[in-house]
Amino acid sequence: MTDYLKDANTKQNQEDFLNRIAKAADRPRHTLKDDPFVPVNDLPEKTLSGKSQDELLEIAKKNSEEVHVDFRIVKSAELGHTLNDFIQEKDIKSLMLPSFDEKKWQDYSLGNWQDNLRVDPVYYWEEELGRQNIVNANNSDGAIGFADFLLAESGTITIATYPEQGRTFHFLPTHYLAIIPKSKILPRSRQAMDYYQKAIQDGTLKTSNINFITGPSNSGDIEMVLIVGVHGPLDMEYVVVEDM
Amino acid sequence: MGIATSDKPFNERITEAEADKFMRASVAKAQDAQFQKRTEARRQLGNWEGWRDLSAEIRQHVLKHLPDYLEEFSDNVQKNGGHVFFAKDGDEASTFIKELAIKKKAQHIVKSKSMVTTEIGLDKDLLTIPGVSLMETDLAEFILQEDNWDEPTHIVFPTLHKNRNQIQKVFEKLGYDGDNDPEHMARFVRHYLRNYFMKADFGITGCNFAIANNGMINLVTNEGNADLTMAIPKTQVVVMGMERIVPSLKEAETLDNVLCRSAVGQKLTSYCTFSKGKEANEADGPDDFYVVIVDNGRSEMLNTDFEPMLQCIRCGSCLNVCPVYRQVGGKGYGSIYPGPMGAVLSPILGGYQEFKELPYACSLCAACTETCPVKIPLHDLIRHHRYVEMDQLHLDHSMSNTLLKAVGKGTSSPVLFNDAMRFAHIALEPFGKKTTPEDVKNLYPEGKINHLPAVAPKLAQGWVNVRDLAVPPKYHQNFRHWYRHHEEEEGQKND
Amino acid sequence: MRYTYYDKHLLIFIGFDYFKEAKCIQLMHTYMKVCIFSTCIVDLLYPDVGKATVELLQRFGCETFFPNKQICCGQPTYNSGYDKETMATFKNQLDALLSIDADYIVGPTGSCVAMLHEYKDIFKDDPEYAKKAQVLYDKSFELTQFIYRVLGILDCGAELDDTATFHRSCHMTRLLGERTAPIVLLEHVKGLQLIPLHNIQLCCGFGGTFSVKEPLISEAMVDDKADNVLKTKAHVLIACEQTCLMNIGGRINRRHDGSHIKIMHIAEVLNHNVDPSRITYVKDTDHVMVPANGNGVF
Repeated sequence: MTDYLKDANTKQNQEDFLNRIAKAADRPRHTLKDDPFVPVNDLPEKTLSGKSQDELLEIAKKNSEEVHVDFRIVKSAELGHTLNDFIQEKDIKSLMLPSFDEKKWQDYSLGNWQDNLRVDPVYYWEEELGRQNIVNANNSDGAIGFADFLLAESGTITIATYPEQGRTFHFLPTHYLAIIPKSKILPRSRQAMDYYQKAIQDGTLKTSNINFITGPSNSGDIEMVLIVGVHGPLDMEYVVVEDM
Repeated sequence: MGIATSDKPFNERITEAEADKFMRASVAKAQDAQFQKRTEARRQLGNWEGWRDLSAEIRQHVLKHLPDYLEEFSDNVQKNGGHVFFAKDGDEASTFIKELAIKKKAQHIVKSKSMVTTEIGLDKDLLTIPGVSLMETDLAEFILQEDNWDEPTHIVFPTLHKNRNQIQKVFEKLGYDGDNDPEHMARFVRHYLRNYFMKADFGITGCNFAIANNGMINLVTNEGNADLTMAIPKTQVVVMGMERIVPSLKEAETLDNVLCRSAVGQKLTSYCTFSKGKEANEADGPDDFYVVIVDNGRSEMLNTDFEPMLQCIRCGSCLNVCPVYRQVGGKGYGSIYPGPMGAVLSPILGGYQEFKELPYACSLCAACTETCPVKIPLHDLIRHHRYVEMDQLHLDHSMSNTLLKAVGKGTSSPVLFNDAMRFAHIALEPFGKKTTPEDVKNLYPEGKINHLPAVAPKLAQGWVNVRDLAVPPKYHQNFRHWYRHHEEEEGQKND
Repeated sequence: MRYTYYDKHLLIFIGFDYFKEAKCIQLMHTYMKVCIFSTCIVDLLYPDVGKATVELLQRFGCETFFPNKQICCGQPTYNSGYDKETMATFKNQLDALLSIDADYIVGPTGSCVAMLHEYKDIFKDDPEYAKKAQVLYDKSFELTQFIYRVLGILDCGAELDDTATFHRSCHMTRLLGERTAPIVLLEHVKGLQLIPLHNIQLCCGFGGTFSVKEPLISEAMVDDKADNVLKTKAHVLIACEQTCLMNIGGRINRRHDGSHIKIMHIAEVLNHNVDPSRITYVKDTDHVMVPANGNGVF
């Protein structure tokens, strides 16, 4: 055995390495504060900017469908029905749901929806269950989750990991549905990134993981033939709530 | 362990590649399909050149301040409760991870596709631990693993050289009894690997970009295996090449956008994830989060003409446009880094002795330079390798070397060049044959040469073995004679 | 390292109105002195390409000059890694081409002109030659680029009643950044029917010494190119680069599979059967000059 494991997180290991590459580069260290990164253009911000929420919805729909997403636009009053349809259509026998508080469900007009579910079992992703959540997610035919944003340009939903809705929530169940308020449609990834960067910095968001998910999992590894559904969900549905 | 995928000599590899009709057809098909997808995805983004400028600027800026950014990243990983190990070479990195796996009593290791772990030969090291099983979970890497650790031939599509029947045979050994439909086979793998994932206790991933200002790592994938690797095992080890770092989430966002479009022609791949060790109140994600930052020869590029190569974001689009890769595939290059980026990187990371031919296996067509999303002047760097090999290391002692040096002399002396023009016809005319009506018109006014005696230099044979050469014009019929004569005539007309 | 392959011609693209409205008109009223850059391949093997180039330029009112000391741009040895051995070649070529105080230096090749442009970078640490290299860079143009963008000519007055396909050469497209001028000029050749070439972006496998050092790979590449050319069923194969033509044509000839094709350098096409009264300038039409990089580089 070597001492490498003990070297991790030591000043010596870090400094030896960094000094060595600084020497190889023949450049002094700690020059960054006088030469911060200044982008040559603002394409990430400007691309697709200045669109109304209606226009963004239109673009989001087109681009989501392009990546094999079932895209639905509903009023909050109809949301419960849409979710039931999803459960029925996909023949979901076991369902995974997040454990967000009552208020969140009520905001989406789903206050009573959970009481009348005709699925058994319904697993809730809960902090207290720890890693049992992973097993539950693996045993779920479907998951219904809440996304933070929908990106018009790429048909992407973005989701931070929360104690109530973990990482594998979005990966292990076979079928997957995400709910997004129309007001949370953003032009592209930059605006979402700006939000996360700021929220993490000012402490309003405490998360270890941010997922940008663009359609169901897929692969072209066998003869470059597109296969939809590999390790993650086999299919995916976005439901945009028009009046939110 | 190096980056070589073959111990056969270069010429043998090329000859084998030429003979592999399936491989060549599938590479060509892949290139053509990617050409359409990539072009369209970039066009839709608008102002692609502007995006390239910004991306190149980010990469260059980071390289300029690489120690600073690595320091910031390392500090932030530690602040988040993670661990960082700086490894100066592959051995150190691999040994560290192996000892960590032993210490953590790992039994079931899962990996998601990572070029750098292939580069440092990690898999074979880990498999020497008694009682440990290891699973590559990217579909392509899994196929390679189950096919007796066959070598990858593309940095984004590692199994480009295999057809569905070959893959079916591989899976049959694992109990698959279905047909050769890619979707059916993928479903089999999903089930097979899902069971393994559920018991995995040690996860290893690569890293597309490390985020300096918050200690997260960014992974860009399509299948979902990387996210499972980052979520299920209690220990996660991230292995990253030391140059794969960006200042903040914003720059990662820019690069992810050009990366996905360049690599697979998608606006964003299915999964683009930013991640670190789990928060205390979260249920999944790694309790222990390790990052191993690997140099392994990269620092040798710093402050040299090859430094721009460190801008590389491993999108593989240079492979997808390369007309040489199209013909010889990854196996022809004999390196885990094939194609133009491989022709630049392999001699640096694996040594000139091993890979001296690669920079010459290039027509300098610059398709790579044109497509590169971070503006690496790839063909220039390939040419620069030739300079290092010839003018600095003097690796060529053959007749070709003497001949090319003579060409250098001949093209710098008007007197010698005049002699060349004078004797070209006389020297080659005896080998000339009269053209027939079947011959290509306009190309052979003085006859064609389709054979040279065996004593002719290898370089000349190289031409004539493949193509017919034109017999040079007689000295008094060459362009310069005509021009002089023409000028006189024009002069008389004007007088 | 240089990142400026497109700079100069991007400028032309941005400033083409200037060229069109001001400079071209102005130039047409003066005698333009043009230094012919023949290239070693024309000198050694293909006099007809050189002849056509000279005749074209003279027809458009240029006064041509030919410095006899010019030899070769240096690519054969430079691109093989013999930098030191090539320095004398570069200097000879630079001095020869600048030995005449011409307004422009024009050659029937995109590849060799791109190499001339690269001198700027090669000599950047040599104060004397750096200056000269800059002059060379500013003055040198590929033939069709010169006709279209500098002279402002849209129709050369040529006629070729045949079907043809065009091979786009790599260095002209990617290093010189010019991919549209030859197409525009060919589209105005009377009677010429252009048939698109599949996978036009792929290299033909010439690559200078690559073709002789790696004959196996080069053969596979040129076979692909030849197949695509022959699939067009065009009677004529046209390119701006005689070296690509001698590669593709030479391979088709060797295969002897009963395919007939005629090889023409673009100078020969634009100089074919010319009716001078049909020569047309961009300024006299409503043609909007097409940018050098076409639809952009992807």
